Amino acid sequence: MKAILYTILILSVVPLQSIVLPHASVWNVMPDMGLVAVCLVGLLAGELDGVLMGLAVGWAMSLFSAGDAMTSIVTKGMAGLLAGLAGRQMAQITPMVLVAGLFVVSCLAGLATVGSVKLAEDRDMWWALRTVILPQACFDAVAGGVLYWAAWNWFDVERLLKESRA
Amino acid sequence: MWMASFRIPYNARRLALTVCVVLLLGFFLLPSQTQNLFQQLGGPVGWLLSWPLQGVAAIQDGIGDVWSRYVALQGVEEENRLLHREIEHLKGQNNRLRESAVATDRLTALLEFKTQALSTMVAAQVIGRDTTNWYRTIVLNKGESDGIQPEMGVITPAGIVGRVVKTTPATAIVLLVSDGNNAIAGLIQRTRDEGIVDGTAQGGVRLKYIPLLSTVRTGDRVVTSGLVGGFPRGLAIGTISKIEKEEGALFQSAELTPEVDISRVEEVLVIQSPYSPPPSGEAGTPGLKSKS
Repeated sequence: MKAILYTILILSVVPLQSIVLPHASVWNVMPDMGLVAVCLVGLLAGELDGVLMGLAVGWAMSLFSAGDAMTSIVTKGMAGLLAGLAGRQMAQITPMVLVAGLFVVSCLAGLATVGSVKLAEDRDMWWALRTVILPQACFDAVAGGVLYWAAWNWFDVERLLKESRA
Repeated sequence: MWMASFRIPYNARRLALTVCVVLLLGFFLLPSQTQNLFQQLGGPVGWLLSWPLQGVAAIQDGIGDVWSRYVALQGVEEENRLLHREIEHLKGQNNRLRESAVATDRLTALLEFKTQALSTMVAAQVIGRDTTNWYRTIVLNKGESDGIQPEMGVITPAGIVGRVVKTTPATAIVLLVSDGNNAIAGLIQRTRDEGIVDGTAQGGVRLKYIPLLSTVRTGDRVVTSGLVGGFPRGLAIGTISKIEKEEGALFQSAELTPEVDISRVEEVLVIQSPYSPPPSGEAGTPGLKSKS
């Protein structure tokens, strides 16, 4: 069952990110739903699931981007791992903690991306922070908060967390 | 309340962890080889992922069609009247251009210039955009199986769009001319000065490395120079809208208004072989290999 869920997630993230979300972008920035999904999986199902989903989603998304595979795979894999470790350490995950955590993870992933690519000559770290990293982190945090709230209402999140921490 | 078991067996956990470690080591110790491996393995995965992508794109097209044909019809009458007026104007312009073309053909033959022609192009549809916020790209519904390769130029009848940077069997990723990582050799049509066209941080297009002594002015058209890249000479890139000349700089640069509205492009042509000479008797006739 879990494999089917994860396959659907991987197959749906690419069309969502490539076709649907560009229509919802603000100042040419859209949320990275791949990163949000990976963090939620890591948080709810543990660090191993987070890492594996991060690697798979990162690879799938890199096939439809001009960016290199390594940056996408490693950043998403690390995001899944971080979310899984954070989920294991926290006694209770409130939506506010999740939103703040997603904001931080998204910023870290953005900074890692900037560190691994060569920016064009008229762009620097400040440009990247101002125009991509911080707006995207805000979007990611809000999208993650909404998804978590939905998951809380539809699934037995407490039980999933207990199982993943066992 | 829906329940699912999210517990992983110990052996699977150990195996997955080993795979992750090997993968990360591969990326850091042998980056280019691992990238190549993933690009090769990405072929079938990309093909698989292209199905939901094309499915969602078809639904989006359907919704767009319904909207444009039935909902967004306000102002059509006014637009129709304006278009009729424009057609009349263009008919006159067309006649003058025909005359010029005949004269140009005659002079070209006289000077024994070889006519440059585009021998093969593939028509493709835009089905998506980049999955990240870092690059300005579009995703095409044609890929390696249609003969599309990286570095091929992508155009519309109005002008250039970008160049292919990545392919899967069913899709191709095109880096747009407005992306800062792109560089296309350009030529100012009036002055014949060459430069490099690339994107700006704001999403615009500029021409860099224009010689200081150039008499470039706003309104000048910029076309491809045909020296490097997948484009033949003479394809429209844009019109110069602003010239920047810094004190003490060795070159000047100019902002361009692109000929193609890149944010709205829906169908494109991929140039497969820009430099092959045309077969005798068909000089100057670009061939279009439609594979849709």
